[in-house]
Amino acid sequence: MAVSWLRKLAARGPARVFLAQGEHSEGVREYLALSPAVQLVDSPRHASVLLVAGEVPIGWRDDLRRVHDQLPAPFASVWYQSDPFDELISAPRVDTLEALPETLLATHRDLVLQRRGSSPRLLPDVPPNPWQGLGDDGHGGEGMMGGNPYGRPMAMNMQDDRRDGLTLDTLTFRLGPFHPGLPPGMQAETSLQGDLIQTWETQKRPFPESVDLPFHAARERPVSIAELERARARHHLHRLHLGLHLAGWPGLANQVLRLASDLAGQPNIAGLRRQLIRGGFFRLAQPMPGHGRLDDETVHQVGGWMARAAGVGEDARSQDASYRRLGFTPICQAEGDTASRWRQLLDETQQSIDLAHQAERLDLATANTELIETPRGPWGEDAPDDASQILEEVLPGLEWGEAMATLASLELAALETVPGEGALANQERRA
Amino acid sequence: MIVSELILPLFMIFLTLGLGIYAAAVLDRLLAARQRIPVADSAWRSPLSNAAWLLLQQTNTTEAPDTPAWQLAPALYLSLAAMGLSLVPWSPTLIATDLATGLVLWGSFEALATVVIFLQGWAANAHLALIGAYRYVALGLSYLLISMFVLIGVALPAESLRFIDVVEAQAPLWHVIGQPLGLPLFLVVGLGLTFWGPLNLADSSDLSGGTSSEISGPLRLVWQMARMAMLVAFSAVAATAFLGGWLGPWLPGPVWVLLKTLGVLALLLWLGRSMPRVAPERCVTLMWVVLLPLAFVDLIWAGTLALLMA
Repeated sequence: MAVSWLRKLAARGPARVFLAQGEHSEGVREYLALSPAVQLVDSPRHASVLLVAGEVPIGWRDDLRRVHDQLPAPFASVWYQSDPFDELISAPRVDTLEALPETLLATHRDLVLQRRGSSPRLLPDVPPNPWQGLGDDGHGGEGMMGGNPYGRPMAMNMQDDRRDGLTLDTLTFRLGPFHPGLPPGMQAETSLQGDLIQTWETQKRPFPESVDLPFHAARERPVSIAELERARARHHLHRLHLGLHLAGWPGLANQVLRLASDLAGQPNIAGLRRQLIRGGFFRLAQPMPGHGRLDDETVHQVGGWMARAAGVGEDARSQDASYRRLGFTPICQAEGDTASRWRQLLDETQQSIDLAHQAERLDLATANTELIETPRGPWGEDAPDDASQILEEVLPGLEWGEAMATLASLELAALETVPGEGALANQERRA
Repeated sequence: MIVSELILPLFMIFLTLGLGIYAAAVLDRLLAARQRIPVADSAWRSPLSNAAWLLLQQTNTTEAPDTPAWQLAPALYLSLAAMGLSLVPWSPTLIATDLATGLVLWGSFEALATVVIFLQGWAANAHLALIGAYRYVALGLSYLLISMFVLIGVALPAESLRFIDVVEAQAPLWHVIGQPLGLPLFLVVGLGLTFWGPLNLADSSDLSGGTSSEISGPLRLVWQMARMAMLVAFSAVAATAFLGGWLGPWLPGPVWVLLKTLGVLALLLWLGRSMPRVAPERCVTLMWVVLLPLAFVDLIWAGTLALLMA
């Protein structure tokens, strides 16, 4: 009786969901973040449901199995626009975004009320690498040092410190490819001394990123500038949402998402900017001035708004006659560091909304289909390519939180030139 | 005698802890709802449903954790909060631990919290939890020094380190007015001690939950309760040190302490939801370059005022 009462009470809460993003899963995180039925969590240990969104390529499936097995029982998985693993054949599959929150909540409640059994573990509960330690104390090497117990090097000070000369033990580990702070699909191996990044090696590149359908259409035919610019503003606001979430400001992060979902009205970007400034987002929450700065070489590899944040005044919209008619000129910052990229994002969001209003009055469409400016950068003969290797230059020397904020302020995945299912689903939903 | 000196003070501690933890959780959810963060359940029931869910969840483990330390850390943090509450006088006679060195003992709880939080992060044997632990230790010293100076400031007019004397010294003028820098600086200490909101560097979202990123089930519930309990204990100490404790017209002393505690608690929770997390390097700079000198100024101000009033 008591257990039944406890279970009924537990079932009243939201579904705690860890989102593992596969290919073409854009928009899922932002949609679920506004749903009262779902609470997105940052660690699989804090979830009762694993949501796999989009196709997971073969090379990433073992990583997904490891994430799956980290959820504490009772737990289950839900698959969005993706087929469950053979071992999880009874796991629900959902194909429309609208049905997702209800399915997640129902799955969570079924687990709590014992109407559904917990998902089986997919991997044996053994260390991923065999014990290779030596010595009486199991320290893993000859004498008192060295060795690779469980396949990992001991925490040893093999490198000079990059900050203040105080050498600490080096801690090396792998992160991703489903870590919420990294672009979907990206896996990296990093070495830290204390909380300072010494090395960063990208081992798996992020999945190519889809942009909204108007950008794909703009490569084929003239499209409404109002529609295109609102899609750009939405894209930028979604990125800002990620930055605010990482900065531990969930209230404003959600406000940004609500702004992004209603761009047809008069979104108050000036008010948002005031809140960001007054709350200390730029001065207190972001890395120190100059940290996360892109140099001349890396700036050209990333392109787009990230390059403009470093003072490169290149924007494909300048070459479009319709944009010139609207008096378009690129906005730039000078510093090129992490904080300036957030300022650039905010400035460009405001600019896009202003352009959309002007273009709507004049009923203007794009004039140039050969070269367009996507939120990821210029798309002409070639689409923006993966630039995740720049992190090996940009992140070392940064404190962990600075590195995560810097990562959030960069879009490094290659541009998907064929609209993915995620982009199609988003377009359908908005229509 | 046993009733007034043992049973009643203990009852007040457990009542404040129980109700305080629930009140803090409800207040936090009400603030979230005010910010239009979607919530599935009502703010009143949501903490209970969350607790029920965690009670039903498996307590997971990691690869080779320090299990005893991992299980002990949340209980120790909760105990520190309870011991902190035991120092709070509810009236001139109703207090669980009336020590001549009460302020010093509270300072030692703040220092011990650093050890407990480090233990929580370290014991999981996981990288993100460990970074959260490193961070907390690195920043702990910054705000502990501020706390020390601010608390000496409230001890000066009382010429005592006893909490009861500190309250009685506020009969002519509460310290929140007499020492205008004291309470704002002490609130910063509170945010640091409870790693809440802008100073949540140990359990932050960039670390996927930091020291608690690897825990689930009942252990996570105890950790969440301990954090709320520490918020409550800190609020009660702040109400005692700066808001005149039991002093106030019409209502009984314990009710005044509860109301003032609730006020400080609401302020801390609101601060936690109104600002982003301060970056660690900027946090250290802010503490040492701005807030610590302000704590000196507060101390000089408090000393001068005490001399003039004497």
